[in-house]
Parts: sequence; structure tokens; C-alpha cells
Amino acid sequence: MFGIFRLSILFPASLAFLTLASCAQKLPIDEGRMVIALPGAPVNVDPRVATDAYGEQILQMTHASLVGRDAAGEPLPDLAHRWESPDPLTYIFHLRPGLRFHDGRPLTSADVRYTFTWILDAANRSPHRGLYRHLASIDAPDPLTVVFRLSEPFAPFLSTMVRGIVPAGSPARGYAPPVGAGPYRIDDLSPDGEAVLSAYDGYYGGPPAIRAVTVKFIPDSNVRFLELKMGSVNFALNGVDPDLLPAAKRAGRLVVEEGAGGNVTYLGFNLRDRALSDARVRRAIALAIDRETIIRTIWKGRADPVESILPPGSWAHDPDLPAVRFDPARARHLLDEAGFPDPDGDGPLPRLRMTYKTSQNEVRRRVATVIQEQLRQVGISIEIQSLEWGTFFSDIKKGNFQIYSLTWVGIADPDIFHHAFHSRSAPPEGANRGGYSDAEVDRLTEAARSEPSRERRRGMYRQVQRILARDLPVFPLWAGRNLLVRDRRLEGFVLTPNESYAPVRAMRIVPDSSAPSTGGRR
Amino acid sequence: MRRYLLGRVLRTVPVVFGVVTVVFLLIHLLPGDPVEIMLGESAAPAQKEELRRELHLDRPILSQYASFLAGIPRGDFGVSFRSREPVLGEIARRIPATVLLAATSITMAVFVSLPLGVLAAMRRGKTADYLSGFAAMLSLSIPNFLLGPLLVLLFSVQLGLLPVSGYGVGRPLVLPAITLGTGMAALLTRMVRATLLEELRKEYVTAAIARGLPYRSAVARHALRNALVPVVTALGLSFGAVLAGSVITETIFSWPGIGRLLIQAIDARDYPVVQGCVLVIALSTVTVNLATDILCARLDPRIRYE
Repeated sequence: MFGIFRLSILFPASLAFLTLASCAQKLPIDEGRMVIALPGAPVNVDPRVATDAYGEQILQMTHASLVGRDAAGEPLPDLAHRWESPDPLTYIFHLRPGLRFHDGRPLTSADVRYTFTWILDAANRSPHRGLYRHLASIDAPDPLTVVFRLSEPFAPFLSTMVRGIVPAGSPARGYAPPVGAGPYRIDDLSPDGEAVLSAYDGYYGGPPAIRAVTVKFIPDSNVRFLELKMGSVNFALNGVDPDLLPAAKRAGRLVVEEGAGGNVTYLGFNLRDRALSDARVRRAIALAIDRETIIRTIWKGRADPVESILPPGSWAHDPDLPAVRFDPARARHLLDEAGFPDPDGDGPLPRLRMTYKTSQNEVRRRVATVIQEQLRQVGISIEIQSLEWGTFFSDIKKGNFQIYSLTWVGIADPDIFHHAFHSRSAPPEGANRGGYSDAEVDRLTEAARSEPSRERRRGMYRQVQRILARDLPVFPLWAGRNLLVRDRRLEGFVLTPNESYAPVRAMRIVPDSSAPSTGGRR
Repeated sequence: MRRYLLGRVLRTVPVVFGVVTVVFLLIHLLPGDPVEIMLGESAAPAQKEELRRELHLDRPILSQYASFLAGIPRGDFGVSFRSREPVLGEIARRIPATVLLAATSITMAVFVSLPLGVLAAMRRGKTADYLSGFAAMLSLSIPNFLLGPLLVLLFSVQLGLLPVSGYGVGRPLVLPAITLGTGMAALLTRMVRATLLEELRKEYVTAAIARGLPYRSAVARHALRNALVPVVTALGLSFGAVLAGSVITETIFSWPGIGRLLIQAIDARDYPVVQGCVLVIALSTVTVNLATDILCARLDPRIRYE
């Protein structure tokens, strides 16, 4: 038994030894390596089947596509250095000469055709197949030319070409992603652990300056912050809670950058509900919500109020939409008009009772509580239901809600208005969950889909946005700003509203004598 | 012995069967459609139907249940909806991480709780007893999700001794193992103290001391061995609690084990992975409990293989 006593001293002692051993380790950045933190692990890193955000973000560094996208959602040359559309049904892409995949194989039009043919093949069950249902044929007349023919005009077509190209004949294997032609190659990918990337010297845009990148999957937001603080992670895009930013700024080695965001949070209304079918009630709710206060207190100023679900950076955004300004007096007046008078003046009885559904996200729950209080001031009693994500989203799709709050993520094209507000876009095909119906919105969103002229499309979408601002089938609240926390020695990253990781290839590590070097206390 | 073992193994079958059935029904009852979570909102209805057929989700639930059961003896737990990899492979890839974490934390709990419990019992009513009682109560009252970040703050951020998160056998293992093992260590400490005190009151101990055996030897050679029987049982039972706790601990420390896989699978309504994880956890809990019973019989000959 006293052996146990001896062992019990040895055990903690060996733990302590393990702890102290290699304490003098260098930080990754001192070795020229950048460590990126993602809040979750990718499910799949194959551009043909990946749908989750984390998979897409890794693919932006490892796989190149025919076209890229700029901050406003406009197409940019990538593997194709130019393209033309001789008629609304034909798109011809010209590849850069001399392109090669990470394994040295040449990248030609045959690989492009293979990638999209694979996605369209029903046997492969790609989740992206629906996106390319307008494709009638793909031809590769010579190694540098690809011709896409559509079955009907589809103006958002170019925005669907942001899809990584893989070598012809690549099998689909979850944890052994096919090679790409992007600036970084994947050396190792461990599920739930990390992805190890290294610079690809054959990248057409020139080899990236940072030679090694590790992507760590860290689900806990406090842990992400602490890793940043210690220097074992150097880069987190939207990975740190607004509450922790002051602390991040105090940490000498970190820099916080903000940029306009493209993800719009909104309140959705169920227009089948007796009270909410009345536009005056919806407007009263909008007028009773003080967005500025919520942004200042909960978001610490890191969001911008918006009047449309199309983010302000988009080419089709209407900057002149009338703003909904906080006006509780007018909200009460509208509720009176709509037939919901206050039953007892200043007394406790509400004019209306409603439920408000939201996910279990901490920030969203806090927002819901503030909105609950603000609506109480105008006589609307809100019951908050905070539900686990799968349950919450299922309820929203079934129309089982009165008010809910959600965020549109990664809107690439104004065709979203057809998806979210056309009267035939009811779930499960579409996202018109509230049952909104307007003949003019239907007509405009249909016409804009097949309109080849960018200018005329813009005009149509501006009209749509005005009608929606009048009817308020949803109330757009704010677009959260993108927040980058990075080591001060990392330079060259450009924040884009769509949270793209593509600019990682332009980053470099600069020597910085004023920054704490190997991390002070470590 | 062989008959006893066979009987025990046979008795575990309805337990595992029951757990698996309840989980199968519960996960299918949960709202949320795996096909919609996988394909996203933009998919065409025909495409969703196609995938639903492909994943056999269009079949009646009883038929799905039957084919799930039929696959188990062959080691075929189905294919993950999300990654499209065989579930067994998905789980096998994460088992080493969870086993490493669970084994380290249990070992740590045993080596901390035994001496502390014995010390508390031998010094009953003295400072050492009160201190160990206080420490045990404190450790039991701190939940994993709080203890983990507190340890990180102290050992990683303030002292800079250990990494905040990550996977590995050396330094990355220390904080997760302490987080997961502390509650168990506290429970076992109290248990060792209580059972040892009970044994010490028994006549054979008094007789041993009367024969002139030193008090320490009486405790170590006679009382402790008998006191350990309920402790080993508790250890076996708390194995399930360690696996449950690993779900939280693995998430805090980005530890790539089964707990984290299970959480992600539930979020995505990845039915085959959830069922596979629960089956593996149920099987290992049952196996550990069986091993515990056998160990108890070894420790105490009065317990018969019956």
C-alpha cells in the first residue's frame, strides 16, 4: 500500500515534469508558420461536395476556381483569365496557359469539364447539383477553352463558377481531399484536429510568402481567444466574441481589424398569423426596436444597421432605401390603428402576445431579451423560445413560428430575393418562410433572373428592395462587421464582406522589434 | 467461473439492446431533417427525395431499425450522412484519443484519491481530514465546463506552462485529464475514507491490533483490502460518467475524440454516427462494469461467481 503512496507522489511529479519539459518552445510565428483558428472542423474538403463553411474556407486557400469574386460579389479572373458570353445561353472561359495541380499534373479544360460533370452526375449525390440545374452541356474544344451551355437564361450563372477544380478522375474520399491548384496544398488533415498546409510554388499567381499554415479547429470561443493571447494561434477571422475584444487589444502582440460584413441578421414574421398579416403591426414592431442601442450594447458597436437583406457591399444594394427609425410613439399609434388598442393604459395587460424563436447562441439570446423589453414598452408581450439549432430551423421551415431571428450568410447574388420572397419559393424548395406574396416582386425577381444586362438587373432589384422596405415581410436588423484578430507581425490580409480566406496567400510575416518576441512569459 | 461469465455477458445483451433502441427512437423523434441539413436550402425537392432514398430515410422507421440491428453483428454501423465514410472507421479514428484521455484521468483519479482517502480516514477529525473533505467538496462542486477554462487560465495563460488546446500524449494531455478526472478523484476520496472507516470499526481490525500488529499494517494489510471492494465498484460505475464528461472536456480542449464526434453528429442529425457512438459507449461501459465485478470477486473471496 505504501507503494501506492510512493506512486501517488511520482505521478503528479511526472505530470509536472511533462509540463515543464520543452517550456522554452518557440512560437509558430517565430518559425515562419501561421496558425489559423476555425470554430469548427470541416465535414468535407472536396470542392465537389463540401457545403459547410469551414470546408469552404479551407478550400479558398487550397483550390482555385474558374472565377473568383471581389468584395461586391463581382466575378474576378482566377483559373480563367477571361470569359465571354456571346448570348445569354453560352459562356466561354479561357484558361491561363501552363496551369498545374499540386501534384504536377497539367490543369486543362478536361479537368474543368470533369469537375462539373461529376457534380451533375446523379450517382455522385453532390449537394451542389441543384445549383447547376440550368447547365445543358459542357464542352472542351481545346485544352484552354471551356464552353458552358445553359438550358435557359440564368443571370447569376457566373457567381456559381466559384467552385474549386479537381483533376479528372479524382475519386471522392472524405479525409483524403483531391488535389487542387490553389496557393496552398493540404499535407495532412486530421478529423477534428487540424489541417496542415504548405505553400505551392507552382501557383499561377506566384508562391505565397508564408510557407506553412496550420488550421486548428477550436470549438470553444474562450479557448480560441486564449490561444491567440498566448501566440499559439495567430489569426482568427470572426473567431473572438465582441466581449473579449478589449482584452485582445490589450494583449501586446494582437491587432484587431474591422471590416464591413456581409451577413445580415433579420426578424422574420409569419404573415399567416392574424396580427402579423397586417403590415402596420409589422412596421410597429420594427419602429419599437431600437437597433442603435442593441448594436452599441450587445455588439459593442461592431455591426451596422441595414434596411435590406442584401448587404451594403453588394453591387445590387439600394443605398437610398428609407431607414426605419426608432419611434415607439408611432409604433403605439400604428397598433391602435391596426385594432390592437392598449387594454389598460399603463397597466400590465399587453395589446398582443407573441412568441419569438431563436437559436441557443448566447449573443442571439441576449438580443432577444433586449427586443422583448423594447416591445414590452409599446404593449407587445414576447415569449422567447430559445431552441437547439436542428429543432429551431425545422420549426422555421415548417412555418411553426410567429417571429424568429436568423442571419443570411454569404449572400453572393441578388437572386436571393427570388429565393426568399417569390410567392412560389415556399419551403422546402425556397426560403419564403413567412408566406409573403406580392405580384410585382414575383414578376421582377423572375425577370431579373434572365436579364443579361447588369444595369437593368440592378434597377429591378432596387425596385424589389423598395417594395420589401414598404411591406416589411422581414425586418432587416444589422450586418455584423467582420472582425479579424491577428498577430501584429502578420501583414497583407484584406478583409472582405464575404469572410474570404483567399487573401491569405498575399500575407507575410514581418519582423517587429516592438512586439513581444517569443512571448514573454511562456 | 465460466458459467458466471457467460451469464453476465448474456445479461449485458438486453442492456445494450435497450440503450441502442431508446437512442434510435429518440434521435428519430428529434425535429430536424438530416437531408435538409446536408443539402442546404437551395436543393431541389427531387434531389432531396433522391438523397432520402439513398440514405434509406424514406423507409418505415421499423425497417430502418431492423437493418441497423442486422448490421451490428457484422460490424456494419452504416455510413455517416455527413462525411460519407463508414461509421466504424469514423469512430475507430477517434477511439485512441478518448481512451488516452479517459485512461489518464482515471489513473490520475486513483492515484490521488487512494492516499488522500486513507489519510483522511486515519486522521479522522484532524486537519488533514477536514482539508481533504473540503478539497473533495470543492472539486465535486465545480463543473467541467468551468474547471477546464479555469485551469487553462492558470496553467496556460498566467504561468505559460501548458498548451491551451490540442492533441498529444505529453503536455496537451495534462489539462484535459485533470479536468475530466478531478470530479472522479473527489468522489473516490470520500468513498475510500467512508469505507475504510467502516472497516476500521470492525472486530478483525481490533483483533489484529490487539495481537500487536502496528496500526499502519492493520490498515494497509487488512482493512484497506476489504474497503477497496465498494471503491472498485464505484470506479467501474464512474467510467460511464467519465465518458459522459469527455463530451464537454473534448469540446473545451479541442480533443479529437468520440465525445466531440457525438456532439457534431447530433447537431447534423447524422443518425448512423450517433447510433454508432452510443453503441460503442454502451458496450464499453458494460464491459468495464463486468471487469469491475470480476475484480471485486478477486479482491474479496466472499463474493462468489454466482
